[in-house]
Amino acid sequence: MIPVENYFLLASFVFLCGLSGVMFRRNLIMVLMSIELMLNAVNIVFVAASRQLAQVDGQIMVLFVITVAACEAAVGLAMVIALFRRYGTVNTEFLRLLRG
Amino acid sequence: MEVFYFVPEVLFYILSGLILLSSVMVVSARNPVTSAIFLVLDLFFVAALYAKLDAHFTAAIQVLVYAGAIVVLFVFVIMLLNLKPEALRGVRFSVGEAAVLLITLVGFAIIGSELARTAPEAVIPGNLGAGAIELAGGNTFVVAMRMFTSYLWPFEMASILILLAIVACVMVAKKDKVLGAAHHFRGGSPE
Amino acid sequence: MGTNFGIDLTSLLQWNQFTVDLVSFVVKFAILAGGLLQIPPVMVWVERRVPALMQRRRGPNRVGLFKWRLYGLLQSLADTIKLIFKEEVVPDGAHKVFYHLAPVFCVFPAFLIACAIPYGPDLNIFGYTIPLSVVRVDVGFLFIFAISSLAVYGVSLAGWASNNKYSLMGSLRASAQMISYEIPLGMSLLPIVLIYGTLDLGKIVEAQSSFFKWGAFTAPFSLLIFVICMFAETNRAPFDLAEGESELVAGFHTEYNSAKFAAFFLGEYVSMFVLSALASTVFFGGWQVPFVPYESLVAMLGSPNIAAIVGVLMLLLKSMFFMWLYIWVRWTLPRFRYDQLMSLGWKFMLPIGLANVVGTAVVLAVLRFK
Repeated sequence: MIPVENYFLLASFVFLCGLSGVMFRRNLIMVLMSIELMLNAVNIVFVAASRQLAQVDGQIMVLFVITVAACEAAVGLAMVIALFRRYGTVNTEFLRLLRG
Repeated sequence: MEVFYFVPEVLFYILSGLILLSSVMVVSARNPVTSAIFLVLDLFFVAALYAKLDAHFTAAIQVLVYAGAIVVLFVFVIMLLNLKPEALRGVRFSVGEAAVLLITLVGFAIIGSELARTAPEAVIPGNLGAGAIELAGGNTFVVAMRMFTSYLWPFEMASILILLAIVACVMVAKKDKVLGAAHHFRGGSPE
Repeated sequence: MGTNFGIDLTSLLQWNQFTVDLVSFVVKFAILAGGLLQIPPVMVWVERRVPALMQRRRGPNRVGLFKWRLYGLLQSLADTIKLIFKEEVVPDGAHKVFYHLAPVFCVFPAFLIACAIPYGPDLNIFGYTIPLSVVRVDVGFLFIFAISSLAVYGVSLAGWASNNKYSLMGSLRASAQMISYEIPLGMSLLPIVLIYGTLDLGKIVEAQSSFFKWGAFTAPFSLLIFVICMFAETNRAPFDLAEGESELVAGFHTEYNSAKFAAFFLGEYVSMFVLSALASTVFFGGWQVPFVPYESLVAMLGSPNIAAIVGVLMLLLKSMFFMWLYIWVRWTLPRFRYDQLMSLGWKFMLPIGLANVVGTAVVLAVLRFK
């Protein structure tokens, strides 16, 4: 049997990739894709834990996480389209009106 | 999926290697479309991992919804906005950023392993091991039974959430009739 | 079942259930891939001769062997040879990887879906039962829809990587059409799941044992919606605006020639066949012979292996009916305009699909409440 820590380690590496994508990419759509990667890492943890603890509640949680990720991606992309129409760019270095 | 009787351990290592490779390529590809296709690959391999963990329904839903709808949405928006490849910054991380990354990595690894090993009292394990799921009628049946009994309210709330998201998307992305005629470039040159 | 990795390697050298499964997996996949590859040439010939007869003309009937005309059957061979020997022209600004990768995304999902369809009852060779589907997936439907939703990438990548604005427009329209019609397609199969109580395709075929238990009779609206969405999914028949010859040049595959063009057509015909096979499996009883349940078939024929062969032939026959329906509808109905197509999908198919699910659920609740 694969010890469940291996799955958690894999999930944390994927989460780290997503986190570094959010921090270092300047394209807003790349940031959104990295957020999806992070949510995916969380899903891996849920499924592995549900197998480890002999329940299916983890898999149900995964369904809800996928639903929320879909909604958030859709709304985020709608905002990206609106931003592009207004400012002509999706580069995060130029979209900095709220920056202190 | 009952293709083989014994699912070798090495499959986990192969799949996790592929997943890691795809994740790194997602984040480090210059062209957004390349990044999206690597995301599709990543989600596909993660679905294979779920199938190995006997979560067949979740694996199918992952490919169907995540890889087959969400990332398609990303690809559409990228193609509609005609985004060009961006030049990556050099590999000159500032000290603060590198420290954050390293601490996060080590922290996750430690916390994750410790939790997995030493906190069984926090959650009460259930009685639906792999064999019991087969006897009870299959993975989909068990998930459905649990979802529609214990988790019915969150299920209905999720459908209301999707409705809200649809309305929000339509309102946000609608062309504003007043300002839509002229596209002003404010805040810097377009990419 | 499960992760029993304590297997010793010497057991791989003798015939036990594991090695029989392994070898039969490889053999089944090889036979399936080879068989699926034979379908496009046949379909190309059918697609030219049958509409010709419908339109009171002859169609290509010259290409033959030596001095026999052979009804133009070798026309497909001639077309294939011509396509292979054409010069491949890659457009100047095309993306180097995705231009060549896009046909793969169109072809590969169709072959993968074909693995999950049960082609016949179980074979019984030397005491080992060999199921006649390449993989047996317990979430059969969801697997099929999941993989077929990957075909959208082939279309959008092909148009985008060609560096041609007409290709891009065509591919965006085609992929928007495909994802719009995926929803009613899946929703039309929900009543089938409700009625037969399982997602496994093998069990659904076994549950259609008598003629009036076929899906076409228990869920007739599902059949109608599924057939219409089937045409839209494969960009065929009245919904072929994306690749219509007189519309956007050739749509998303404008810049493709020779072997990759053949690959797109291969993918299209194979996915037509696969969806036809799925429709036959779910609505027309799959490999079941009408009015003859499986046990009496075995009793008539003597051995379950011959019954399996008969089952495979029955499924092929029913799929051929749907393929003929594809061609019949294509050459009969005019093409939809794009906005008509999209409003049909969202404003008509989706509510009717929902009403179908709710109605079936209500009827089943009433019938099973006793």
